[in-house]
Amino acid sequence: MNNAGTSRSGTPQILFGLAVGILVIFVAVPVLLIFFNALWVHGRFNVADVVNVLREPDTYKALLNSLILASGVTVTGTLVGTFFAWLVTRTDLPYKGAMKVLFLVPFMLPSFIGALAWKMLLSPRSGYINRLFVDVFGFDGPVFNIYSYGGIIAVETMYLFPFVFIQVCGALERMDPTLEESARISGADLFTITRKITIPLVLPSILSGSLLIMLYSMAHFGTVAVLGIEAGIYNIPTLIYERIHQSAGSFDAIRTGTVLSMVLVFTAAFIIWLQNKVLARGRYQIIAGKSFRPAELKLRGLRVPLLLFCFAYIGFTIVLPTTTIFMVGGLRTYGLPFALENMTLDNYHHILFEWDLTRDAIWNSISLGLASALITMFAGVIISYVIVKMKVRGKGLLEFLGMLPFSVPGSVIALGVILAWSGKFGINLYNTVWIILIAYIARYMAFSLKANSAALEQVHDSLVEAARASGATMWQALRDIVIPLVRPGMVAAFFLIFLPALRELTVSVLLYGPTSRTIGVAIYTLSEDGRFRSRPRSRARRVRGHAGAVRLRQDHDAAHGSGLRRYR
Amino acid sequence: MKIRHLLQLFCFALLGLPGFAAQAEEKLYIYTSMKESLIGELKKAFVAKHPDIKMDYQSAGAGKLMAKIAAERESGTILADVLWTSEVPDFYQLKAQGVLQPYVPAEIKALVNPLPEYDGSFTAVRLGTLGIAYNTRLIKDAPKTWADVQKPAFKGAYGIANPALSGTAYMSVSLLVKAFGWPYIEGLRANGAKMGKGSGQVVDDTASGDLLASLAVDYITLDKVDKGATLTLAFPPEMLVIPSPIAIFKGSPNTVAAKKFIDFVLSKEGQTIVANEGTLPVRADVKVPDRFHLPPVAEAMNRAIKIDYKQLMAEKEATIKKFTGIMQK
Repeated sequence: MNNAGTSRSGTPQILFGLAVGILVIFVAVPVLLIFFNALWVHGRFNVADVVNVLREPDTYKALLNSLILASGVTVTGTLVGTFFAWLVTRTDLPYKGAMKVLFLVPFMLPSFIGALAWKMLLSPRSGYINRLFVDVFGFDGPVFNIYSYGGIIAVETMYLFPFVFIQVCGALERMDPTLEESARISGADLFTITRKITIPLVLPSILSGSLLIMLYSMAHFGTVAVLGIEAGIYNIPTLIYERIHQSAGSFDAIRTGTVLSMVLVFTAAFIIWLQNKVLARGRYQIIAGKSFRPAELKLRGLRVPLLLFCFAYIGFTIVLPTTTIFMVGGLRTYGLPFALENMTLDNYHHILFEWDLTRDAIWNSISLGLASALITMFAGVIISYVIVKMKVRGKGLLEFLGMLPFSVPGSVIALGVILAWSGKFGINLYNTVWIILIAYIARYMAFSLKANSAALEQVHDSLVEAARASGATMWQALRDIVIPLVRPGMVAAFFLIFLPALRELTVSVLLYGPTSRTIGVAIYTLSEDGRFRSRPRSRARRVRGHAGAVRLRQDHDAAHGSGLRRYR
Repeated sequence: MKIRHLLQLFCFALLGLPGFAAQAEEKLYIYTSMKESLIGELKKAFVAKHPDIKMDYQSAGAGKLMAKIAAERESGTILADVLWTSEVPDFYQLKAQGVLQPYVPAEIKALVNPLPEYDGSFTAVRLGTLGIAYNTRLIKDAPKTWADVQKPAFKGAYGIANPALSGTAYMSVSLLVKAFGWPYIEGLRANGAKMGKGSGQVVDDTASGDLLASLAVDYITLDKVDKGATLTLAFPPEMLVIPSPIAIFKGSPNTVAAKKFIDFVLSKEGQTIVANEGTLPVRADVKVPDRFHLPPVAEAMNRAIKIDYKQLMAEKEATIKKFTGIMQK
């Protein structure tokens, strides 16, 4: 591309090749390799492990639990995410800009930290809220029990609904409001318009968000491990974790774990297939060659009650647990009561200014987050284009390969990445920061594919056809028409990747080396020390980093607005 | 934001990723489950003594490290030169698979050796102990025997870490079963004892009052006591003493540096650092600071429930299954 002599028509081929190459080599190979290693032992099919896994009643109990938890989280997360997205984009709710940012806060925190905060607040024995009810209001026993299916679903919902929220916000911003206006003129009320016009039109984004929630929750370990163990609730990831952690340094035990994770892959394949079935039934191409400007619905009498509701939600699910964590960060040691003599700033001071790992970790995480988010975003938009818009044989396979790493726990990905990139096949990136970058791309490709596909579903084919008819090349049509129109999807993808990458833990902890510690690893190191109180420090930094990220997003939005104006 | 700007941002991001420069000096890489403060202190002191050795370490839970090692072995080479965790059975297994390079430290005579059939494949460098940590805000009568936590005072609020996730918890459960039989575990459960996630978590929960007491690792508890937690660690007469072995991997290109490190950790200076973190050293001539109230090494070894490592490894899966079955009934 840097060669001026290269013909212009060569560029798209190179880009497509590059994107598909990234998908196959970085994303698919490690996972496929680990499954190959799991199923093929010394030249023979590994019957014993497969039979064992299939015969173990625990497998089915865990799968059932996984499905119960994931379905619960998907339903509640989708409802919450869609509702708030609609509220902050399409209504005249006050302070909605600030709220949009606040709703993203949970996404920046590792969910196991959230689980710990909720445990502190709602554990039946010593949870602060339960104590309040018992000690102050004179209740006989604890009111809430966080160690339950309901508790786990509620906590996961609080941390996963941004998957839907971010994408639906993007979809609502780019949808054609004239459809709503015509319904309104025909006499439909707000509720009917929302139900019959708005929701169906942004269905691809809602579904792609809920698919991500479902897959994430299926493969999610942290919350269940922290909150489920007391009540004997376990899922497939906690079983895999136990197997992998009992390996004693031999790959045989890891094989059982990876065979088990194939259960997740099959479930994921089924869910993806189901989503495509649903999407295939409707038409969602709502961005056609017309002008559109966002119109706000007047909430009228509902304005104040809804505002209060948002404040309550933010206060209860975001401010309360986050404050709890920061307060705990100020305790001399975890477990002391919140009294003035137990509070200190030493912890914050130690991490921010004394601990030499902090600066490296923050720097590494930001670089890794930016690099992986940008690469994955661009590769994702091109691959999504192939999947959604082009009529190519085998594109379903591309989508499946892209989603594959997301449907299994992070530790399985990390092990696959070690197998693939530690020199066995000629390239040794092990113990460098590059191997973490590759692992992040693999892990987060699904976010980019889903966000971009959903955005592309809404772009009408007629636009590209018009450009092509006017003599534009495929590449020009893509660059000048499609990319600007799906930019909200790309921006959503960027943040869906950048924010979790900043705090990524499961993959990094298995891959980090002396020069490549990340924020997640730093937090983990401190928490493994039994020094829970030390964690929030790096979080303080991160939140500051996020403030920057949020500003960046607003810049994107501004650019997006101007970009669109050009195409009106 | 234009694509060009994004590309610039991207290049900037790539610049941030440190490259991998070749180093000429002697190198040493350690995988350890020791906490950051201990391994960090040791590194500082070791590097001061051997400035020519570039030492670094990866500290993570033993389970994670072993999974990493498994994947590394599967793909060809083990990256680390030295392994140091508290999971003795892992070391027996690695030794059986011929992955360890025996090294008998010069000072072996000055050390307490808790490991039978010692051949230098791995050497104990500290002795972890487990006792009953209880919250002094809520419990006034200190538990004196293992059976005390079956009393009504501890109803519904005694915790043990998940033995499937923590090797230390597994060894403790297995030793308690060896000494008192399964009825002891059933008695705990009948009194509402709970299984927690990890060794750190049960102690955290005890400090917060979510649990009244827990089966607790010494240094985790004592570190919190140091910082003001209202905890006390009680040792019943039958002690749980679990060694942390260190070993060199076969085929390591840095065996000379590795041996120097092992010698250093076993030296009086190294053992003093170990003792200052609230764990028993393996040298009789190094004392644990009085504020920790740990019994002397010789006494702890006498009171310890004897460990049969072969049996421990053979019964692991069955024991964990039975324990989980009882605790989650």
